[in-house]
Amino acid sequence: MSAVVGIDVGGTFTDLYCVDAKSGAETILKVPSTPDDPSRALLDSLHAAEIDPKDLEALLHGTTIATNAVIERKGARCALVTTRGFRDVLELGRRDRPLMYGLQGVQQPLIPRDRRWEVSERVDYRGRVLVPLDESEVQALGEVLREQSVEAIVISLMHSYANPAHEERIAALLGAANPAWEIVTSTSVIREYYEFERTSTATVQGYLQPLVSRYAKNLQQQLRDWGFDRDVLIMQSNGGLSPLSQLSRRSAYIVRSGPAAGVIAAGGLAKEAGFDKIITADMGGTSFDVAVVINCEPRVAEKTDLDFRVPLRLPMIDVHTIGAGGGSIASVDRGGILEVGPRSAGSVPGPICYRRGGVEPTVTDANLVLGRIAVDSPIGGKGRIALDLESARKAFAKLGSELGLGIEDAAEAVLAVVNLRMAGRIRLISIEQGLDPRDFVMVAFGGAGPMHGAALIREVGIRTELVPPYPGVLCAMGCAIADIRYDYSQTFEQRLNRSDVSEIHDILKRQRAEGEAQLLKGDAPHSSVQIAHFADMAYAGQIHALRVCIEAGWDAEQLTRAFVAQYKAEFGNVLENIPVVVVNLRTRVVGTRGGLARRAAAASTSGAAPRPIKRRPVYFGGWHDAAIYAREDLLPGMSFDGPAIVEQNDTTTVVEPGMVTRVDAFGNLLVEVK
Amino acid sequence: MIDPVTLAVVRGSLEQIADEMDLHLIRAAISPIISETNDCAHGIFHPETGETIAQGRYGLPVFLSNMQFTTQNVLRIAKEQGGFKRGDVWILNDPYIGGTHLQDAQLVAPYFVGDKLFALFASTGHWMDVGGSVPGGWAPKAEDIHQEGTVIPPVKLYDEGKLNDPLVAMFRANSRLPDEIAGDLSAMVNVFAVGQRGLDQLVARYGVERLGACISEMIARSEQQMRSYIAEIPDGTYRFEDFIDNDGIVDQPLKIVLALTVKGSDLHFDFTGTSPTARGPVNLSRNTTLSSCYVAMKHIFPEVPVNGGAFRPASFTIPTRTIISAEYPTPVGGYLEVLGRVIAVVFGALGQAIPDRAPAAPFGTIGVCTVGGRHPDSGNFFVGVFPYPGGYGGTKATDGLVHGTPPQSMANFVSLEMSEHRYPLRFDFFRLREDSGGAGWHRGGCGSEYQFTAWADCATTVLGDQCDYPPFGAAGGGPAAPNVVEFHTDGKLWRPQMRSKHENQVLHEGDGLHLCTPGGGGFGDPLERDIAAVQRDLNLGYVSRATAERDYGAVIAEATPLGDRSVYRIDANATSAERARRRAARGDDGKRIAG
Repeated sequence: MSAVVGIDVGGTFTDLYCVDAKSGAETILKVPSTPDDPSRALLDSLHAAEIDPKDLEALLHGTTIATNAVIERKGARCALVTTRGFRDVLELGRRDRPLMYGLQGVQQPLIPRDRRWEVSERVDYRGRVLVPLDESEVQALGEVLREQSVEAIVISLMHSYANPAHEERIAALLGAANPAWEIVTSTSVIREYYEFERTSTATVQGYLQPLVSRYAKNLQQQLRDWGFDRDVLIMQSNGGLSPLSQLSRRSAYIVRSGPAAGVIAAGGLAKEAGFDKIITADMGGTSFDVAVVINCEPRVAEKTDLDFRVPLRLPMIDVHTIGAGGGSIASVDRGGILEVGPRSAGSVPGPICYRRGGVEPTVTDANLVLGRIAVDSPIGGKGRIALDLESARKAFAKLGSELGLGIEDAAEAVLAVVNLRMAGRIRLISIEQGLDPRDFVMVAFGGAGPMHGAALIREVGIRTELVPPYPGVLCAMGCAIADIRYDYSQTFEQRLNRSDVSEIHDILKRQRAEGEAQLLKGDAPHSSVQIAHFADMAYAGQIHALRVCIEAGWDAEQLTRAFVAQYKAEFGNVLENIPVVVVNLRTRVVGTRGGLARRAAAASTSGAAPRPIKRRPVYFGGWHDAAIYAREDLLPGMSFDGPAIVEQNDTTTVVEPGMVTRVDAFGNLLVEVK
Repeated sequence: MIDPVTLAVVRGSLEQIADEMDLHLIRAAISPIISETNDCAHGIFHPETGETIAQGRYGLPVFLSNMQFTTQNVLRIAKEQGGFKRGDVWILNDPYIGGTHLQDAQLVAPYFVGDKLFALFASTGHWMDVGGSVPGGWAPKAEDIHQEGTVIPPVKLYDEGKLNDPLVAMFRANSRLPDEIAGDLSAMVNVFAVGQRGLDQLVARYGVERLGACISEMIARSEQQMRSYIAEIPDGTYRFEDFIDNDGIVDQPLKIVLALTVKGSDLHFDFTGTSPTARGPVNLSRNTTLSSCYVAMKHIFPEVPVNGGAFRPASFTIPTRTIISAEYPTPVGGYLEVLGRVIAVVFGALGQAIPDRAPAAPFGTIGVCTVGGRHPDSGNFFVGVFPYPGGYGGTKATDGLVHGTPPQSMANFVSLEMSEHRYPLRFDFFRLREDSGGAGWHRGGCGSEYQFTAWADCATTVLGDQCDYPPFGAAGGGPAAPNVVEFHTDGKLWRPQMRSKHENQVLHEGDGLHLCTPGGGGFGDPLERDIAAVQRDLNLGYVSRATAERDYGAVIAEATPLGDRSVYRIDANATSAERARRRAARGDDGKRIAG
């Protein structure tokens, strides 16, 4: 009973990471995903890794089913019930358009207008009832919803965060009318003001709940049949885990759980290696994801847009995405300037060299033409097939002729342009937060991350790139090392000078108790419980609030002082004589699991040079004779100079000329400019 | 010949610097209008021509090209005064030299390499209050610029690095929000350090000469790209006109007339025939008229990168003393209404030339509704601003978007719950406005409709348009529903004399305002609309039964009651027959647009 397994189910591959808690021995593998029933690939990976269910201590899991269901509009047939006069809040949003330029764009609300219904009731901003709930209307509505054969019902009323009684009463009445309906009240998902964002968030929950319940039940059954009957933990987008048995009620929390897991793992590995300021750079086939982690705390976004006018207002790790990946297509614009992406060849037809019908040159094709990836590279665990170098070269000959460049120079130009876009995104994410990217270590992962990481640190001015031992399955590893986590929030919206702080204390106490009870309910093992309280605060009149870390028993003066200090730190000034408002109160309850298994640092071989498995020409502004290393030959303490290529099953790492690579005590590669 | 890699990298790097300038101000500004709605813009400009080299992609479209014109004006004035010196920062808000309105403060600073002027930076930011008769500056009854606020001519804020303190004291003394504007001003000045650092790195990497060559080349390439699109527009002169209801003071429509000539890869915008300067504040400065034309072009050709090259192929005839060439002392506070109509006539003219790319008219009124007073809970003064949403026009590709933000903006509508916390108002409803999108093969997007009731005394001002002249359709599509503004006070329902322009209406408890925003125009013949789509529109309540029958020729087979609604089934055969009958009656074969 000592194996801990993390499994990340992605769109194309299902990745498994297994660590033996006693010996620290690690296993990784990839199997093809099975989108019709994602749990099948999960079981496939357990079989392929030859894991005995009796040895399994914990199974942790990240999944894209929720994300895909929203993007592809494959969620439940839902109805929405609102206050009379407000059924269109979900569709109207807050007045926007998809892109700054171009007035085209369509919208597909998750719940169409004919399944949105209104009932007579109204509560004011302090929670006082202005119009009582008309229960006969709710009864009548039950009949209508039956006729519309809905699976789930979302109830979102004006100012329900201040008084949820009407939402709860409607839920009870409709639940009695048909116990088969899955019913979601907006305040059970998020107890904050902003009617559009709250309604949208509750709608995402309702839209996913039936699907996720079915998935959870099915997975549990299959694991039981296999011989594992403990609760599985699921990765949430806030970077923490939640038990599978509670999953359906937390469906909206697992949207984009994969990228969150990657950030958690990158943060954990970098911390272990002695770095506390980290930028994570995850490059795959179609997208490039960047996030900032300081002292193991990933930055959390207030709100994430899952699609046009589908905001999700739940704490999610702030991962920024641009369309740059191995499949990004290179083309020449009408002004004769080279562009790469955001168009992508995706996995089908894919890069030219994959022989799946791709005809436009991609970033992966450029890496192949330049010798950075080997002709016999494994594509995502499918074993070694010969890549089509000839066709890739032809495509770059054509692109080059449009630009007046030779084949290799055209390919290198493509890398320069895509690297510039990614470097730009890294700079923006740090500048948006007032940070200097040069103070950070960049953790490169994903199938293509370590291939571009060296160029990115050079471009941004980052000193060190860290390439973890298994960059291609880092999200699976993140699942294995994350903690259990629950977040609570409630809108307060009162000026500190006029509010009663005992009300604040009551809310925080209630949130804490709820989280602790939730932790006890799940039988997931955790070694200790950590509680953190936060208040979103602003000067009266400001739209943006600052999230301030607070203590449970603080008085008004202590709260104000903490806010002013943080305001000064972020903006460099304070506003005198303007009252301070507490907008939201938040509590985070974490059940810690011990994180990374303490891996003993292997004995240092102090600076010894590894032996290359071979040498081959690689193009860096000209052909260089580069050493090719096998990752498993690189032992702690070794170091080597670029140009060099490190090959392993899940990725390829490029070390540019003028750079040096050290292997640290934990087997990470640290790439730096000499 | 510059190598293509360097060119692509330099272009990306310059755009990145401008983006970073945008983000720096958005993060550091005090005013929510900058930090929340990005009401700002930044750019890098050519030291001799003043042409745009790069512009940030986070600021608002309205500033697309008028920063270039502002910079060109400041460049000329600075030259007359001995030229730029290191450490100088110029400031202005004069709309006749700068653009937009008095609230937009614009800063221009030189960038030197050694003692050679290499580039200019500019920063524009919306200040919350610069004095004038109405807090915030939207005064529908203003008859000259001085009623709208304090005018700042182009002057040096910093003279060789030394701050002109008395000038800042003057700004503070003339604003209702002195701390906010002083904070925003210092944040804007700090942005130049961001630009400076970025250009320093590029100069170090490429050298002045190579960088300068790249800049000239990329401007030339943008021009080439823009010209390649224009060349695809059939040659000819395309005419279009549209109207503003009135200027808020004189109840007479104002006309905007455009003759757009395409010749090869050149465009000429001729606005001869446009109405003379208005007495009220619906006037636009020349710079912003030009900028509006470019915003419209950029919406149609979003691929073209923004720099001076993209602006080169166009020339303009803009008659003086008209509503699109405001001169001192013309009031300009309602400029956004005129701007909306300039964008619309460009779409209207191009719609005749390239119907595949030009949309039908989007809603074109910013219809600012301002509510002010003292909150009974706190006794504090409040000002709530509710800008209009509206529908977009249908296009060749799709139906129009529901409830969009204005084409020149990216700003959002406020949260209703948040507004009820801040202001003594209660929203009675906030809903999609049925039948507001113009009929068409691709229907115009719907606008919205909302009503609030006051529960304590307050004063309301509206400054909108498009009650008499709604957004037009294209390629045979119908117009959208017009704007409607209705007060209910003292138990009576009434519409303002100037329809959508009304200043300081006092509301007592129980009084309120009902606003109906226009949709977008329809695209193509509604009789060609897919019958299943009409049935869907009907069941979603985007169109009413009457409209479906009247505009789309729908024949309803069945209406089943469900709750308080009906579920409709359209008889497809009978509808086709009805459509054929109508086509025959009007004498065409129904293939007027490509379906």
